[in-house]
Amino acid sequence: MNTQRQQRTRKFAALAATGLLALTACGGGDGSGSDDGPVTLRMTVWSGAPEHLKLLNGIADTYRKTHPEVKSIKFDVLPVENYTETLTTQMAGGKAPDLAWIFENSALDFVSSGALKEVKDDPDVLPAAKKIWQQDGKLYAYPFSTSPFGVFVNLDMLKKAGQPSPAELIKQGKWNWDEVDRIGAAVHTKTGKTGMVIRDFDYKAWDNLATYWDGWGAQAWSADGKTCGFDKPQMVAAMTSLHKAIFDDEAMLAPGTTADFFAGESAMTVTQMSRASLLTDKFKWDFVPLPEGPEGKYAVIGQAGIAVLAKSKHADAAAGFQAFMTNKENSAKLGAYFPQARSSQLNAATLAKSNAKLSEKQLADVVIDGIKNGKVKPVHIGQAEIYAAVRSGLDALWKPNADVQKVLTGVCNSIKPQLEQ
Amino acid sequence: MKTLDRPRSTAATGPPEDGTRAAQPFWTSRRRDQLAGYLFIAPQLIGTVVFVLIPLGLVVWYSFHEWNVLAGTFHSVGTDNYHKLLDDPKLPGVLRATAYFSVGLVVLNLSLALALAVLLNQKLRGSVVFRTLFFSPVVVSLVAWTIVWGFLLQKNGGINAGLDLIGVHGPNWLRSEGTSMLSAVVVQCFKNVGLNMVLFLAALQGVPRELYEAATVDGAGRWRQFWRITVPLISPTILLTSIITVVGSLQVFAQIAVLTQGGPSGSTTVLVYYLYQQAFTFHHFGYGATLSVLLFLIVLVLTVIQWQMRKKWVFHES
Amino acid sequence: MSRKLSTRAKLLLYGILLVLCVPFVFPTWWMATSSLKPAADIFAFPPKLFPDNPRLDAYRKVFELQPFGHQYFNSMYIAVVVTLGTLAVSSLAGYGFARIRFPGQNILFLVVLTGLLIPSEVTIVPLFQMFHDWGMIDTHWPLILVPVLGAPSVLATFIMRQFFIALPHELEEAARMDGLGRFAIYWRIALPLARPALSAVAIFTFLHSWNLYLEPIVYLSTPDMFTLPQALTQYVDAYGGPMWNVQLAAASLTALPVVAVFVFAQRQFVEGLAHTGLK
Repeated sequence: MNTQRQQRTRKFAALAATGLLALTACGGGDGSGSDDGPVTLRMTVWSGAPEHLKLLNGIADTYRKTHPEVKSIKFDVLPVENYTETLTTQMAGGKAPDLAWIFENSALDFVSSGALKEVKDDPDVLPAAKKIWQQDGKLYAYPFSTSPFGVFVNLDMLKKAGQPSPAELIKQGKWNWDEVDRIGAAVHTKTGKTGMVIRDFDYKAWDNLATYWDGWGAQAWSADGKTCGFDKPQMVAAMTSLHKAIFDDEAMLAPGTTADFFAGESAMTVTQMSRASLLTDKFKWDFVPLPEGPEGKYAVIGQAGIAVLAKSKHADAAAGFQAFMTNKENSAKLGAYFPQARSSQLNAATLAKSNAKLSEKQLADVVIDGIKNGKVKPVHIGQAEIYAAVRSGLDALWKPNADVQKVLTGVCNSIKPQLEQ
Repeated sequence: MKTLDRPRSTAATGPPEDGTRAAQPFWTSRRRDQLAGYLFIAPQLIGTVVFVLIPLGLVVWYSFHEWNVLAGTFHSVGTDNYHKLLDDPKLPGVLRATAYFSVGLVVLNLSLALALAVLLNQKLRGSVVFRTLFFSPVVVSLVAWTIVWGFLLQKNGGINAGLDLIGVHGPNWLRSEGTSMLSAVVVQCFKNVGLNMVLFLAALQGVPRELYEAATVDGAGRWRQFWRITVPLISPTILLTSIITVVGSLQVFAQIAVLTQGGPSGSTTVLVYYLYQQAFTFHHFGYGATLSVLLFLIVLVLTVIQWQMRKKWVFHES
Repeated sequence: MSRKLSTRAKLLLYGILLVLCVPFVFPTWWMATSSLKPAADIFAFPPKLFPDNPRLDAYRKVFELQPFGHQYFNSMYIAVVVTLGTLAVSSLAGYGFARIRFPGQNILFLVVLTGLLIPSEVTIVPLFQMFHDWGMIDTHWPLILVPVLGAPSVLATFIMRQFFIALPHELEEAARMDGLGRFAIYWRIALPLARPALSAVAIFTFLHSWNLYLEPIVYLSTPDMFTLPQALTQYVDAYGGPMWNVQLAAASLTALPVVAVFVFAQRQFVEGLAHTGLK
């Protein structure tokens, strides 16, 4: 029995040793180079898609050929769900990356806090696209992805439900939210599928509703960010209409349910053009501009920026790479996945080269008009806190028989202190 | 197994080791033994100091500061964060949600674990299979488990489909304030109840059968036997499992983050989630640290209370 | 309470157990079968128990989109190292606190116990700074050192102490007579007797490490270094939309092998637990 035990002990020790070996093999190495010699740059991104990383690494490799002082450029993929939190944690721990993608919803926070280094401005980039990345006339990030919202339509499903296609309605001048509501309700009754989905909203990410309420001329807060807009008549009208579409007409996706347009579960969805990559040939589809609201035509864009962090130990080298990555030539490459708000690239022919799935007409109608005229989703300093407060306040709206005016007044009360700051 | 019931006091006096106290140099066997004692606990003690106490001290230090990570500013604000804590209009709701989750989880988890353990402790063919099935969620990754339940609890998800079969129209579990927290508790309970169940099962198997036989002879019914014999004899396990479950319930984070993100209307915003939100989402690291201090004090008080209670009702301590 | 049961009672018992099984088994079943369905069928209402024409596309994608095999290895080896390390640290400390008398013992035990009370979210920022100062960000060291030496191992130490306290000390007496030192007694007498407690600690520790979610997100930033829970949340398309069937396939891959190992090892494990000092 004793020898048996000794054997076991030896096995245990062997296991422990193997573990330690594995540990040194994998845990060690990779000292993040922060010495003054050859520079190592690190950039945080939220997309781990192989084609995106391939593109980024390709640009980085080209840059290093002409800039031998930059030893390596590393792209760190942070989980998209808590991207900003992870980034700020790294900054809190003193390990800010040299460059970072920044979400539009934290743009004002990053810009106003001085966390970002000024970057080179380029007159080719449309002024509207630069707006949220500027302060006192200086630019703090290059808007590398300016993606307009439009409506993807499942033509097969509309046909099955006996409904007209949006293209016909646009011709007749009847492509508006009332009509979408009617079609959506009809689709739901006839096919059991969902009529319209405002993608990614999911009754949480309320800023996506700007694609709806902008049609009523409503806004979350005034342009200077000081006055709450939720309790204004336009917003009440927009939300009343939305509430009716969801709960009375059942034309839109209900809370607590999921329906993926790209899997063929809904007839229409509001989302960005970039999602075209998810389309399969399972059904006939179209991509059209957002429907008109009572206030007429409007467009909404989503944005993301490439910034250099002020805390970077190699801020100059990082700025050099940032400028290279976003120059005309490389931004054309980025344009394959991320729409560029550059007047030189804003024509259907150029866009069509990198968006094989969309026709030139679709691109011209939605993308070019969208990027030129689109408003960004609501952004504010202290966005995260306001965002959470609004989300929590709006929860009371997402049930039948909600008192719209009362809920929206409550939303305003809860965000007033932050807006006035 | 009777040795396990040895009173704690034996350990307190320790093995008699001063039998050989002849005139000796400095390193008496007693001193050597004491040194050995320190060496034995050294890794754990140093680890606790470095990875628990020093960081905790830093957290307390942060709580007297305002720290803006983005701007990189850090300055003392005295007790401002503590005043903010007292005036925070959201805090009562957060504490209520935390209490709801913890009490709900502890009650549901312990009673279900004990019930399952008692059922499985019957002489029944195939109970090993059931034991395995009940335990299996414990080994499923927490994030995976929660993601799956998130699907199932959708309005048009599997749970409501199942309820439809028996003619019940299920609620919108995660989207209504009345059921969101209940859902979180139940999801967490099914995930981990197997662990407590196995611990109870182990304890039940250690209860001497003769006691029940004697009680049966005395005419005591099963229910009475359960409360008079089983519960007292396994009370040390009840204490251990309740401490682990209470402390664990106060640390719930990933489940809330994946399942409800604190909503709807803040109904599932428990303390850890709230402090994560304040520190990492809203960038109020100073206030987040203050909430951490509050959380620490709550856990401390609860544990001390539980530890004191053991004298009252844990059987073999008396 | 293990007396003979009547047939009726047995049938009733089986019925109850079967119903109770549903919430434990169905989610795993649904996860595994849904991963074989095309994305469009996952939300079909009512859900189907069996996929119509099972496909392995999602599983192929799991490995295509991320270095999943590597991440699997990361999670595995970290959990193994943490488990072995915790067994060593906690059994030493547990033995020291339970069997050796030294001045300040009770105070020091209380000091260690505070580790039981501090959620990891509380100390994550200062810890992040410390590991950064030591150059250990984006390595696996924080995921190993903190569990082995910090708060999570305290529970293990507590369990080991409770077990060693209950050991009859006659066994040690005899060994002392034979002239064995403290370490030898610990290693040759106490530890072998503690196998049940060690196995309980091992499973607690392994699962804790296996499930760690917040820490990897905070400390790791290279896909090659990721652990599984972190990797699971990465199966989104390029614009942040989740890829449900791929995510479920990855989730199945993380869960099923561990469940399988448990099914084979559980008898020993549960019976081991039955003999620990945990009663």
